[in-house]
Amino acid sequence: MSKCIWQDRHGQNPGTVNTGKSEITNMSEQIEQAVELEEALERKYEAGFHSEIEADTFESGLDESVIRRLSEIKGEPEWMLEWRLKAYRSWLEMEEPDWAHVDYPKIDYQSISYYSAPKSMKDKPKSLDEVDPELLRTYEKLGIPLHEQEMLAGVAVDAVFDSVSVVTTFREKLEEAGVIFCPISEAVHKYPELVKKYMGSVVPRTDNYFAALNSAVFTDGSFVYIPKGVRCPMELSTYFRINEQNTGQFERTLIVADEGSHVSYLEGCTAPQRDENQLHAAVVELVAMDDAKIKYSTVQNWYPGDENGKGGIYNFVTKRGICHTNAKISWTQVETGSAVTWKYPSCVLKGDNSVGEFYSVALTRGRQQADTGTKMIHLGKNTRSTIISKGISAGKSNNAYRGLVKMGPKADGARNFTECDSLLIGDTCGAHTFPYIESRNPSAIVEHEATTSKVSDEQLFLCKQRGLDTEKAVSMIVNGFCKEVFKELPMEFAVEAGKLLEISLEGSVG
Amino acid sequence: MLKVKNLHASVEDKAIIKGLNLEVNPGEVHAIMGPNGAGKSTLGYVLSGRDGYEVTDGDMTLNDANLLDMEVEERARAGMFLAFQYPVEIPGVSNMEFMKESVNAMREERGEDPLTAAEFLKKAKAACKQVQLPLDFLKRGVNEGFSGGEKKRNEIMQMILLEPSLCILDESDSGLDIDALQVVADGVNSQRDGKRSFIVVTHYQRLLDYIKPDFVHILADGEIVKSGDASLALEVEKHGYAFLGKKYEEAEA
Amino acid sequence: MSQWLNQVIEQAKQVDDYLTPVRQQALKTLQTEGWPSQRSEAWRFTPLTPVTNREVQTAAADQAGEAPEVAGLNAIDVVFANGQLVTDLDNISWPEGVTVTSLAEAGQHSDDVAAVFGQVKPQRHLFGLVNDAVCQQGIYIDIADGAQVTMPIRIVNLATQDTDAHTRVLVRLGKDARATVIEHGTGDAQSMTTAFAEYDIAASAHLEHYRFAMFTGSACHVGGSHFKLGDHAELNSTLVGYGSQLSRVDVDIHHAGEFADAKMNAIYLLAEGELFDLHSTIEHAVPNGTTEENARGIIGDRARAVFNGRIHIHRDAQKTLAELNNRNLLLSRRALINTKPELEIYADDVKCAHGATVAEIDEGALYYLLTRGVPRSRALIMLNFGFIRELVNLMPNEALREWLLPVLSERFAKMEVR
Repeated sequence: MSKCIWQDRHGQNPGTVNTGKSEITNMSEQIEQAVELEEALERKYEAGFHSEIEADTFESGLDESVIRRLSEIKGEPEWMLEWRLKAYRSWLEMEEPDWAHVDYPKIDYQSISYYSAPKSMKDKPKSLDEVDPELLRTYEKLGIPLHEQEMLAGVAVDAVFDSVSVVTTFREKLEEAGVIFCPISEAVHKYPELVKKYMGSVVPRTDNYFAALNSAVFTDGSFVYIPKGVRCPMELSTYFRINEQNTGQFERTLIVADEGSHVSYLEGCTAPQRDENQLHAAVVELVAMDDAKIKYSTVQNWYPGDENGKGGIYNFVTKRGICHTNAKISWTQVETGSAVTWKYPSCVLKGDNSVGEFYSVALTRGRQQADTGTKMIHLGKNTRSTIISKGISAGKSNNAYRGLVKMGPKADGARNFTECDSLLIGDTCGAHTFPYIESRNPSAIVEHEATTSKVSDEQLFLCKQRGLDTEKAVSMIVNGFCKEVFKELPMEFAVEAGKLLEISLEGSVG
Repeated sequence: MLKVKNLHASVEDKAIIKGLNLEVNPGEVHAIMGPNGAGKSTLGYVLSGRDGYEVTDGDMTLNDANLLDMEVEERARAGMFLAFQYPVEIPGVSNMEFMKESVNAMREERGEDPLTAAEFLKKAKAACKQVQLPLDFLKRGVNEGFSGGEKKRNEIMQMILLEPSLCILDESDSGLDIDALQVVADGVNSQRDGKRSFIVVTHYQRLLDYIKPDFVHILADGEIVKSGDASLALEVEKHGYAFLGKKYEEAEA
Repeated sequence: MSQWLNQVIEQAKQVDDYLTPVRQQALKTLQTEGWPSQRSEAWRFTPLTPVTNREVQTAAADQAGEAPEVAGLNAIDVVFANGQLVTDLDNISWPEGVTVTSLAEAGQHSDDVAAVFGQVKPQRHLFGLVNDAVCQQGIYIDIADGAQVTMPIRIVNLATQDTDAHTRVLVRLGKDARATVIEHGTGDAQSMTTAFAEYDIAASAHLEHYRFAMFTGSACHVGGSHFKLGDHAELNSTLVGYGSQLSRVDVDIHHAGEFADAKMNAIYLLAEGELFDLHSTIEHAVPNGTTEENARGIIGDRARAVFNGRIHIHRDAQKTLAELNNRNLLLSRRALINTKPELEIYADDVKCAHGATVAEIDEGALYYLLTRGVPRSRALIMLNFGFIRELVNLMPNEALREWLLPVLSERFAKMEVR
């Protein structure tokens, strides 16, 4: 029977990367390559150091008294505490989801500490000079200098260390433009009306198990408000660092872009190398009012655990944005870290003509497991969404794309295009695609395509013949595979992301 | 027959046709030549009324009927035929079914009875023969798996069947070898009866060796910049579009 | 909880025959798993409410049992009317190499039957388990090694009365053998039927298979065709589904031998208010297999289609080529499609792709038809129907093609386009 099923409508192979048996490759060469690949995959984790910083850390365990204490330390108003308690009570009734293609031992929520802050932060330093130098050194080591003069021009940073925000740079400059960029714990005090109005408006307290937990115990995170018609003068970014042992990190970010405003926001995350797993359950809410644009980029590099799957962060994150008329939200993520990733940055396209985008590179190696993707909920007319997902699996890892595209009955003329490509490096990993598509509108168009392929022997041979070693060759090929996503990142970070990918691939050439 | 006055048209808010004037009388053959990007294909789409090709100014009438008031299929029934440069493939819809539907729509317009299956088949077979298409093409999906040349011949076959009064041939020569070109040209020439008019859109002069034009127009940047008789085409063949200025010279290179 | 399931379980406890080991296992699973919750992935988009509290009915052996006419089709018919085998198998002169046995009277063939029963598809959902546990009506078809059976064998399932009926078809296709099997189900009477077929296809054998799941109205039907392919085996399968109150079909293909080739096409054409759910799982357990699957559906007003197509490439299944494509057209804003093409891949040297679309008609094609003067409404109908006719045209059996096209065309003509 015909084997020519690969001539798809473009008359091309569906695999982005061509596969095929090479006659030049004999058995021993293949084995050699496999060994090289394995070696290349044993990547180093450069952010794996621990900083010796004295901290106030809660005893592990969770009950209402813990939440009250946490709220008290932050000096929160009553309504905030009530909100937390309601979330906690709902959480108690909920069940941990088990539908994702990930497998991890049951989390003991009583063995986690829900608050940890450097002792030096207790007195709330007024300026950078009052901040513990060891803290500043930590960020410097991570490549994030917090002194404004040393920073990348045009990027304001909120540095979150365990449960508190250490410093937020360039605040004055932003204030001039009317932009609010501050720790969310501060926003609760300073801008209670905005927080009350928008917190939980996109991700309700009871949205899911991890969101409910976060709502009960969130410690810090960033708050951004861009007033009407303002184009935020600089990139905003938050850098999350987990340092303490046995603590969970539960940050919460809320970005409100008022009518006609624009903002580009980036988050980065790292954690020390430890044998124990640590939990990170964040919530991010984006509100794009009419004609507003939000670009949200993530470079996620939490400690992934060692090659045997020991240690690493459990990353359970709920990210969602709502787009009003003509608004646009664009999610870009480069996911290389975490032992387990469970994350679906989504867009609710409520307003007519609104646009949602999701660009993702997820790289797993060792024993990492990722189940990530997006939801595009089309409610308004002529709404548009684009999903580009690139999954790279190496080692003994599993990498899944899971997505939902939903066309509501009123989404006349709505369109979605989805492309999911997987690249497998070696034959001990897994690549999976679980796209859910639901349509209730005859004029809405949904297109989904997925392919799977490997780095071919021919490609490797060609690169090596031109003098590149296996590692470099693979990293080049993988970079090419991810190009479509990298070009969506702000320029400085695109370079970073490329490097990160390269480091991640070290020793895992595949 | 066709009168186009000061036509302006745009695609996705980008102006492509910028003040085009053209008058085609019964029996005339007009060639429209021009460099890439001049708006040649757009003209065919605008005349036929494709969605997304918005007329922003000007008038166009066919036999005094205002084309702007008419839907795509109404324009077709009023006698306009567009032979596509890249005819679309429609698997699952057979050529025969398609043409029968189409021919009968034209007949209905003229107040004629629909053809019976046998009558239609006879006509269709003759048309296929004329453009040297095997008869089994009638049974196949519309353009499905046809070669480039077969698609072009299928367009001419449809033209023969539908007996339009104005035929717009959009680069009907592109991608054809000499033999196929001859077949296409013969098909077109067989339809020249002194009343039927033709607009032959082409990039090269070659086709005009086979289909002799009465007038040649040079389209550049959405306007007709020069008109003349058949000799103008030869001039273009010799010197390229250099006379249009540097921009087009480069575009050609 | 489900009254229906409780009654079925009681029924199952009474069944005792040579298939008891498999039945017991199924019964145990039914008892432990119970009625699926709405969150259960297998039934997430397909409400089971029409069956949940149904009272189990047993219709008397049916007298009618006329197989639906397919003009020009010269086939051997085996008819189940409301779940009862009404064809006298002994009265048929079977082609050379073909042995057909009733499950109820398997006698000397009991071991052969047991070798296939529940073995082609060991993992079953609720209704598969029900069928395992209680089905007593069914046939076993054995096609000897090398037999070239040109005459199609058609197994007809009729739902004409209120009944609960569970039938089973088991086919062993011997080495190098060739055969055509048609499973033809139809009826609109209020009923609950399950019909599962298991095909064990030996090395280099070739099966041409059709399943017409044409249950409509109040006829609830859940069925499946499961295939296991040996080395170099070939399968060409076509499914045509209508919808009813509840209609679900699973087509599963298991590549157990290398270099097997599977082609599967599915068409669903759902009229007003109908529900149809197609699940398919392709398991590539060994290297060098190829699969090509195309499923296309048109979903009418208030109708709902569910498609779940899964390709699973096991660790050892290197050099697999697998492609799945699902396309859907909605005719109304009260129509609903839930589609989920899934890839689960554990081998690196494979080429796998899937695609799914939900869309209205291709604008370019519509424009083309309009420029030829075809009225818009006719053009839409032609394009809509062309979309499924393409798959009908791929059916190898000419008589079935000639029969099916006008049947589908007529069904489609009654559906409103917008």
